[in-house]
This record gives sequence, structure tokens and C-alpha cells, in this order.
Amino acid sequence: MSIKLEKVVEKFYQGLEEGKFLGRKCPQCGNVEFPPVYACNACGSYETEWYEISGRAKLHSIVLPAALSSKPEYKKLGKFAYGEVELEEGTRFNAVVRGISKKNRAELTKKLPLDCHIAVFEREGGYKTVVFDLDEIN
Amino acid sequence: MGTLGKYGRSVSIIGVGCTPFMYTVDHEETNGLTEGEMFGYAALKAMEDAGVNPRDVDFYFHGEASPLNGSNYLTPNVQVANWFGMKGKGSIHHSEACCTGYLAIEQAANAVASGKYDCVLTGAVEFGDSTPSPADSVETPKHPYKRDKMTMEKFLKTTAWLYDRTYTRSLMAGQELIYDDAAEWYVRTRGITPEQMNDTLNWMCINNRRNASVNPLAIERRTYESLAKEAGMTLDEYMNSPYNPRMGDFLRAGGIELKCDGAAAAILCATEKIPEIAKKLAHTPIEVLGIGSAACEASTPHFEVRATQEAVRQVYELTGLSGEDLDLFYANDFIITSHLVSAEIAGYLPYGEGWKYICDGRTAWDGDKPINTNGGRTSFGHAHAASGLADMYEACKQLWGECGEHQVKHTPKTAMLRGYGGAQNVAAVLIRTLEA
Repeated sequence: MSIKLEKVVEKFYQGLEEGKFLGRKCPQCGNVEFPPVYACNACGSYETEWYEISGRAKLHSIVLPAALSSKPEYKKLGKFAYGEVELEEGTRFNAVVRGISKKNRAELTKKLPLDCHIAVFEREGGYKTVVFDLDEIN
Repeated sequence: MGTLGKYGRSVSIIGVGCTPFMYTVDHEETNGLTEGEMFGYAALKAMEDAGVNPRDVDFYFHGEASPLNGSNYLTPNVQVANWFGMKGKGSIHHSEACCTGYLAIEQAANAVASGKYDCVLTGAVEFGDSTPSPADSVETPKHPYKRDKMTMEKFLKTTAWLYDRTYTRSLMAGQELIYDDAAEWYVRTRGITPEQMNDTLNWMCINNRRNASVNPLAIERRTYESLAKEAGMTLDEYMNSPYNPRMGDFLRAGGIELKCDGAAAAILCATEKIPEIAKKLAHTPIEVLGIGSAACEASTPHFEVRATQEAVRQVYELTGLSGEDLDLFYANDFIITSHLVSAEIAGYLPYGEGWKYICDGRTAWDGDKPINTNGGRTSFGHAHAASGLADMYEACKQLWGECGEHQVKHTPKTAMLRGYGGAQNVAAVLIRTLEA
């Protein structure tokens, strides 16, 4: 392997068009970077390799959208929350998780962490992005 | 993650300057003020306060979060030097958005501690509430001094530039969690109820406003008690009424910054050189003990909490100090929750108990644990890049016992300023009055 100048971002979004969720795995320590970047932020390795994640994840926190934290476009998401998501591979990042509302928030908060899985969401502007869905909808 | 080394030599703050924070276009006497006039005023006031002449100052740092928006400049440092007698001197512009004014101290302290310069100016300016006229787009030719109001719609569009274009904006959550993530984290980890968090958020607004009400530089000085009385309500009714609507999952309108225009500056000098350079020194120097820093891009879970923990750890490890050594605390609270979480992380307020101190009014300027004695971002105002140096202005004046009507009860010696901003930089700046 060697350090390469390559279009990582484009390949990530092209993967979503094909229903693939691509991250990068560190050959040194096994850490998975998602969304994908060049280097490993766990051990500092210069290089990582393409890796298709399983899509299984856990949600660790729940914040509901409100006037300040919503946009008209988000209506297409249905009921959702923002929160800390942990992939099965161990990577943690902030994401949208669908299936959470004012009505079930208190009950779901007691059950944290919640199992969820990755999905594709079409954004305005003609590209797809990543969201998550709860495995069990209350 | 990081370990700080000691400065090559001691660095002290010897003078500070600050404009009032204001809505410049709303008042005839300030409408049309330009960047050179604002930055120049703060810079000259800092030099006067330090007892130095512009010729004594070797270099200057210029901070501004959004110079293209605010003044239609790409290199703002170059455009303003002659306003404060430093024409031809070297300078640099930097932007870390709302954290700029705190990292302005970091840059200046490093430059002096390295031995490269003996005396530097560090200043910051922002037009958060207005933009060069016409305000249609940054490309059209601008009037030499006329300005237009910066609408909230335009402001929110440009704040999108704070977030990573490739992934974070696309994933949506990072930029939206800024409003409520810290509140959710505190409720969950401390085991308080959402209602208790609501009360705490309201009391931070009340305390900030009480502090601003006795600070002539603050932009909003009407206390919530007086506003409630005007509306014929109790304070509690007012804070939970449509006058203070819920805007976030937890956050109410009163807990959001008052974006405005302002500038602030400080003079930093090698402590050993002060007798030689500042012959008219008026105050005891305030030593920069150390500055911890961390930056967590907005897709990082609990970015504010995580970066604050790291920055605070670094500076305590360097200095051997802890929260118990702090007499005064400032937090960049453009989202007011910052005020609670950062004071607890720094150990200034005890773990899990900080919310009670706030609700009991103990963190107001006349309490035993004062926070944001100038009024903070929700009442002093938020001129984005300049806010950190405005906090440093206030902290130094408190340490010097020069705050008049809002001087804290016991003259403080040691203070921490927790900078935050730019999605998201964090700085933990530790200062202490030099022993005689």
C-alpha cells in the first residue's frame, strides 16, 4: 500500500447509489472510519482500505428536532431524532435516526442503547445520504 | 491526547480594550462605523490601558470570524493597521469563528513565549448584525461606510459554512445537535429531569441578564424581573411563556446569543520585559498560565463535552491547578447550556450539582461562584470573533478590581475562560494575577 490521492468522497456517494455503505478500515489496528477518510484516527496509520460496513448499529442518545434544528426538507424523514450512533464496527458519529417521536421518546430513552440499522435517504440537491432506522418501532 | 510544554518565558496581559457590543446600524451615532474604526478603538484603548505606544508593539494578530461577510475583506489585518499606528508592522489574520477571541490569546502568548516578539497586540472584530451595503451578495461593489442589517435568514445561511461540506452537512445531525446535545448529555448523565433542565436554562438567562444590567458595555440591560413585571407576570411565568418560546428540544429563545457588532483587544508582553516596554504600566500584570485546546468536528458525538474535557485536562496537567483554584469562570455561551456544562467539566462547579448553584443564583456576579460577569453571549452580546477578547477584557478588569458596580465580592486572582466555536474549536485559557 501507499498514500494515494484518490476520490474517496465521490466513491462513498456512488456507493450509496448502489445501496453500499463504504467505510475505510485500518490495516494496522482494525479501526473503521465511517464516513471514509484517508488516515486512521485511532492509531494514526497513514492508510486505510475500503471496507463495506454491516449497517448494524446502536443509538446512544436522543435529541428531538425543533424550530431551530429542523428544515422544511426534513419533513420527508417522518418522525426522527438526532443522536450518537455506534456502528457494529465500533465507529461513533452523530446521525439521524427515524422512528422516534415526542410520543415514544420517554419510553425509548429508558431503553437506550437502541438497536438500529442503516438506510439511504434522498437529499434535495440530487444525492443520497445515510440515516438509520430503529429495529423495533414502538 | 495532547501534552502541553511550558512556555519558553513568562507572558503577561498588561492592557485590554473593548467597544460596547451594539447593533451599529440601529443608532445614528454608530450607524456607518467601519472595521478600522472598531478594531482601531479597541486596539488603542488596549495600548493606553497597558501604557505602551504603538511603536512599542512588535506585531499584531487580527481575528474575525467572517471578514468577507462583515467587511468585504479577504485580508482584514492588512486593511486596518494604520488606524492604530502600526502601519508597516507584521500581522496575521485568523478565524476560528466564535472561538477566535480565545485562540487570539493563544497565538499572541505563543509568539511572545517563543522569544520572537517582546510585545504584541491581539484583537478581534465582528459585524454580526450588519454587512456592507448593499447586502445583496459579497460580489457587488460596496459603499465605503454604509452598512445594512444582517438578517437572521442570511446569517443562518452563512453559518452553514461552519460545517464540513463533504459529510456533516449531508448527514444533517452534526449542525442540528449544536442547540441541544449538551443539555441532553447533562440530563442523561446527571439524572436530572427535563423540567429541572428547563429551570436551569432559564436561570442561566436570568443570571446573565442580571450581570449585564450593571455593565455599561452590554447590549441588553433590561432584567428579566423588570420584563416580567411589565408583562404582568411572575418571573417563572414569564420565563416559561411565549415571551421566551421553546426553540429547541430544551433550549428557549432567551438562551440563544444576541448577535451584534463589536471589537476587543489585549496587549501581551514578555513578563521580564515589562519594566522596559510598559513604562506607564497601570496594573499588576496578569500571567497567561497556559491554554489547553481541542477541536472536534461536528459529526463527533458530544463534540462540546469531549473537546472541553480534553482542553481542560491539558491545562490542569500543565499547571497542576484544578477547579478548586478558580475564582472566576467565563464560558462562551452562545448556546447557554455551555455555561453549565463547561463550568462543571472544569470543576468550577461540583459534578452533578452545578445546576443547583445556577438555580440558586450563586453564579451571578454577586454570588460565590460568579460566571460570565459581563452578561455572557445572551446579554452582553455576541460579536462572534470579538467575544473571547471581550471576556478577557472583563476577566482582567475583575482581576484588577476595576469593575465598579459589578465588581465581584472578593477580588479574584485566578480565572478560566472556556472558548468554544467554529464547529467546534475549544480553548481553556488559564490566567492569574502575577505575584508582586
